[in-house]
Amino acid sequence: MAVETSFSSVGDSAFRAGQLMLERRASRRQADGFHAPSRRVRSTVAHISGLALLAVAPGLAVSSIVELVGGGDAAWSLLLCAGLFAGLGLSMWSGTRLGDLAPRTVFASVAWSWLLVSVLGALPYVLGRTFAQPGISRWVELADAVFESVSGYTCTGSTVLTTLPDLDDPAPTVGDGVLFYRQLTQWYGGMGFVQLVITVLPALGTQAMGFIGAEAPGPSTDRLAPRAAESARILWKLYIGATAVIAIGYVVAGMALWDAVNHSLTTAPTGGFSTYNDSLGEFDSLPIEIWAMIAMTFGGANYALHWSFLTRDRRVYQRDHEFRSYVAMLAVAAIAITAMLWAGGEVGGLPASLRAATFNVVSLGSSTGFGNAQGAGTPGDIVVWSASPLVIVLLLMFVGGMSGSTAGGSKVIRSRILVAISHRTVAVARQPRAVVPVKLGGDVVRETVVGRVAVFMMAYLALIVGGLLVVTALGGDLDASLAGVVGSLGNMGPAFGEAGPTSTFQTAFPTPARLVLAFLMIAGRLELFAVLLMFAAPRRAIRRLKPHRHTF
Amino acid sequence: MARNPRPPGSASKGTIRVLPLPLAIGLAAGGAAVLICAFVGLFLDGPEFGQERRVEAMLGIGAVLVAALISRTQHRCTITRPMAMSMFVTAWVGSTVVAMLAFWLSGELATLSDGLFEAVSASSTTGLTTVSDPQELSHALRLLRVLLPWCTGIGVLIVSMGVLPAAIAGVELTPIMRLHGTRKLVRTPRQAVLTISGLYIVLTVAVVVGFLLAGMGPFDAVTYGLSVSSTSGMSNHADSLGHFDSVWVDAVATGGMIAAGGNLLVVWWALRGAWGSVWRSTELRLYAGLLCAGFISVYLGGSGLSAESSAFSVASMMSTTGLRSGDWASAGAFPQTVLLILAGLGAMAGSAGSGFRLARVARVALEVRRRLQELLNPARISILRMDGVAVDEASLQRTFGYLWMHAFTLASVAVLVNTTELDIVGTASFAVAIVSNAGVYVDNGTITSTVHLSSWSETIGMLGMLFGRLSIYPVLLTAAGVGRWLSRRRFRRSAIPRSGLVS
Repeated sequence: MAVETSFSSVGDSAFRAGQLMLERRASRRQADGFHAPSRRVRSTVAHISGLALLAVAPGLAVSSIVELVGGGDAAWSLLLCAGLFAGLGLSMWSGTRLGDLAPRTVFASVAWSWLLVSVLGALPYVLGRTFAQPGISRWVELADAVFESVSGYTCTGSTVLTTLPDLDDPAPTVGDGVLFYRQLTQWYGGMGFVQLVITVLPALGTQAMGFIGAEAPGPSTDRLAPRAAESARILWKLYIGATAVIAIGYVVAGMALWDAVNHSLTTAPTGGFSTYNDSLGEFDSLPIEIWAMIAMTFGGANYALHWSFLTRDRRVYQRDHEFRSYVAMLAVAAIAITAMLWAGGEVGGLPASLRAATFNVVSLGSSTGFGNAQGAGTPGDIVVWSASPLVIVLLLMFVGGMSGSTAGGSKVIRSRILVAISHRTVAVARQPRAVVPVKLGGDVVRETVVGRVAVFMMAYLALIVGGLLVVTALGGDLDASLAGVVGSLGNMGPAFGEAGPTSTFQTAFPTPARLVLAFLMIAGRLELFAVLLMFAAPRRAIRRLKPHRHTF
Repeated sequence: MARNPRPPGSASKGTIRVLPLPLAIGLAAGGAAVLICAFVGLFLDGPEFGQERRVEAMLGIGAVLVAALISRTQHRCTITRPMAMSMFVTAWVGSTVVAMLAFWLSGELATLSDGLFEAVSASSTTGLTTVSDPQELSHALRLLRVLLPWCTGIGVLIVSMGVLPAAIAGVELTPIMRLHGTRKLVRTPRQAVLTISGLYIVLTVAVVVGFLLAGMGPFDAVTYGLSVSSTSGMSNHADSLGHFDSVWVDAVATGGMIAAGGNLLVVWWALRGAWGSVWRSTELRLYAGLLCAGFISVYLGGSGLSAESSAFSVASMMSTTGLRSGDWASAGAFPQTVLLILAGLGAMAGSAGSGFRLARVARVALEVRRRLQELLNPARISILRMDGVAVDEASLQRTFGYLWMHAFTLASVAVLVNTTELDIVGTASFAVAIVSNAGVYVDNGTITSTVHLSSWSETIGMLGMLFGRLSIYPVLLTAAGVGRWLSRRRFRRSAIPRSGLVS
C-alpha cells in the first residue's frame, strides 16, 4: 500500500506515534474513498525532516532535566533547543504533506533529514558553549559543534571534545545533561539507521534495495513482519531491550549506574562515545571490557537475526553465512594481532597483547570505536602498535559490521561478494568459456546484485581516495588522514597518529578537514547513494526551471 | 595400464608439457644478458675482477647450453590460456634464476637471498635493492641490474601485445590492441612484435643520447637509459639521478619516463601522423590528464619542490619507474598522497610500466559513472563504450575482479611484511612500491629504494613484485596448475599397486 509505504519511510526518525497515527488516518481515508483537497505544501523532504526533528525533541527535554538535576548551567539552552526542535518539527510536519514517493525521493529525503538533524543537533553545544576554549574563534567552535553532532547522529564516535572528565579528577567542564544528550545522539542515530535498513527498504521494494546496496540474499532483506509499522514496533522493542540489557550488564560488571546508562546508549548503536577521556580504559576493568565486547559484537550483527533468534530459530546465528564470516573475521584478526603484538613485544606479554588486540578488534570491527587504553602509550593505545597490526585494523575499518545492523563500513556481506567475484575471475581466466556464478552460502547471487556491489565498492574506494586527497590537501598528516577518512566513511571513531583513541580529532585535523570528515560520516552512514540522490533532486528541480527549447 | 580419459590439451597435463620452451627462452635470455655483462665487465672492471667475470661468462654460456637442451623436450599441443600464462611465468623464472646465480657468484652481494631479491627486483622492473651504495658494485653487475629489466620489459611487451593475442583468441593481458573504434593498431602479430621492438629500442637510444647530451658519462648514460626505458628505476648511485644535480638530466629522464609509461603503439600511430585517433584514446587522455593534475598538485600543493623536480617525481611515480631526484617524502602529506596514488594507478597498458594500468582505471571509472547515471534515471538503459567500442559485460567483470585481486594483493603485502622498522605510511608506500613495481617507498620520512628488512619481509616483497609484474592471474594459474599436477602424480603413485597389475 503506497501510503503505508511512505509512512514507513519515516522510520529513520523513530517516531512511532506519529507513524501509527498517520497510518490509521490514511487507511481510514482510503476506506472511505475520501480525497479532500489539502492546502499543505507537497514536500516529502520537509515532511520527513519535520518528523525527525520532532523525534529528537523529547531527548533534548530529558537532557535538560538531567542537566538541571546535575547542577549544570546548560539546562535552559537544552530546553530551548527542545522547544525549537519541537516547534520547527511540528510546523514542518503539519505544514507539509508527502509528495513524490519514488524510492529516490524517499532516500533523498532521508539524507536531507539526517543532515538537518545533524546540523541543528549542534545547537545545544553552541548555545551551551561546550567547545568554547581560549584562543578559538566562534567559527571553529561552531564547526566543532557540527562535527560532534554529525559524529553522534551517524554513530561514528570521533570527537573533538577535549574537556571530558576523568574518574580521578571528576570535575567536568561539560554538564551531565550535555553529556547525556551527546550519548543520546548516537542512540537516535542507531535506531534511525536500523529502521531505515530493516523497515523502510523492504517496504519500498526491490528498487529501493538496489539504491542502498543491501541486496545480497540473507536475513538483511527479510521483513521482520508483514506490515512496516509492525516491523518498526519490533525493532523498537529489540533496540530498547538491548540497550537496557547492556546497561544492566555494565552495572553487574562493576560500572556505576550513570556510567552504565551513558555507555549503553552508545554501545547498542555501535557508536562509541564515552563520557571519559580514556573511554572504557578509564575503568581498567576486565569484566567491563568483556561485557562491552559481547555487546559490541551484538550491535554489529544483523538485528533481524537477533529477532529471529529470540522468536523463531535458535540456530539462526549458526546458519547465517554473513554472521559466520563476521565472527570469523573478528577472531582471525584478534589472533593475528595478538600474535604480532606478542612477537613484537610492543605491549608486554601474552595476556596484555590478547586483551589489547581482542578489545580493539571487536571495537573497530563492529565499528563502535571504544578504547581500552589507560592513557597514551599504554597497551590498548593502537597508536603505539607497529604497522602490520594497524593495517589489519584499517582493513577491519574498511569492512565494518553486518548488513542490517547499526555498524558502519562497507559491510561484511559485500566483502564476501567481492571475494566471490575475485574467485570467479580466476576461474574464468582459467576456463574462458565457463559460466561461473557468484555464490554466497550456497545461494547464487544475481548478476545485477553482483554488478551493484562491485560499483558500490568502487564508489566507496573512490570516496576514500578522494577524501584522503582533500584532507591531506587541507593539512592533515598522511597516517592520521588515512585512518581518519576510512574511519569516518565507515563510521568507526578513532584514527591513527594524533587522532588515536586517547586523543581527539581537534589536534590532528584542521577545521576544514574536520568538516570534510563530517561529510564523509554522513555519506558513509547513508551508504553513499542516498547522498548522491540528495544532490540529484535539486539538480532536477533546477533543470525544470530552465526554459524549454521549442522545436518546430 | 588403463588411464583415465582426458580431453586433448587439458590444462594440467598440457601446462607441464609446454613449459620447457619458455623455460629455455628465459634461461637463454638471462644467460645472454649475463654473458654481455661479463664481457663488458672484463673491459671496464679491470683485471681485479677477472675471475668473477670469467665465472659469469661461464654461467651465461652454461645457461644458453642448458636452454638449448631443454628446448628439445618441448611437446607440441594446443595452447590454452592457462598454458600461455604459465609459459609467461616460466620464462620469467628462468631468466631470474640465471640472474640470481650471477649476482651470487660475483661475491659482491652478501647472501644468496640478497642475490635472489636483486634478481627478482630487476626482472620485475621494480628497482628496489639491497645494496646501500650501488657505486661499490662492479660495472658488470651494475649493467646486469638494468639489462635484465630491459629484457623483461621488451619480453612483457612482445608477449602480451604480440604473441598472446595472436595465439589465443580473446586473451586480454593488455586490453588495448585497438585504438578508437575498430581500427587495429597493427595488422599481424609479426608486425606488432617488430613495431614494439623497434620503438622500444628507438626510445632507449633516444634516452641514452639525451643523457649523453645532458652531460652524463657513457656508462651512466647507457645504464640510466636502459633503466628509464624499461621503467625499472635501478640506479648506479645511492641518491639516484639526484647525484647529477642537473636540470637537463632531470628533463631528459622526465621525458623518457613519460614516453616509457605510455602505450608504445599509440606512439607509433602518433609517429605516423594519426593524431586525431590518438587523441581520442580515452586512456591516453587519462594519462595526460593525470600527469598534468599530478604536476599541479605536487608543485602547487605546498611541497616546496621546484617545477622540474615536481614533474620528474610525477613522471617517475606514474610510469612506475621509481628514479629519484628530489625527496618528495619530506615535502608534506599531500604530495606524498598524490604520488603514491599515481604509482598505484600505474602506467598505460601496452607500456613497460606496471600498476593497475590506466586502461582498467578508465574502464572502471566509466562503468561507475554509467551505473550511477542509471541509478539516478532508472528508466535509462546505456551501454558502456570506450574508444567507440562497446565493452561487454564479461570483460567488465574481469576488470572488476582484477581490481579487487590487485587490492587484496596490496593489502596482503602490507599485512604480511610485518616489520617494526616501518610506520604505517612506510608500510603502505612499501606495498605500493612492491605491487606496482614502482621501487621507491617512504622510510622514516625520506624516500628510498634500499631495503633492509628481514628475510621474511624480503620474501613477501619478492612475491608481491612477481604478482604485480605478471598481473596476478598468470602466477595464480601456474601455481594452481603445478599444484594439481603434483597432487595427481602423488595420487597415481599411491593408487598403483606394487604388482602393477591394474585391470
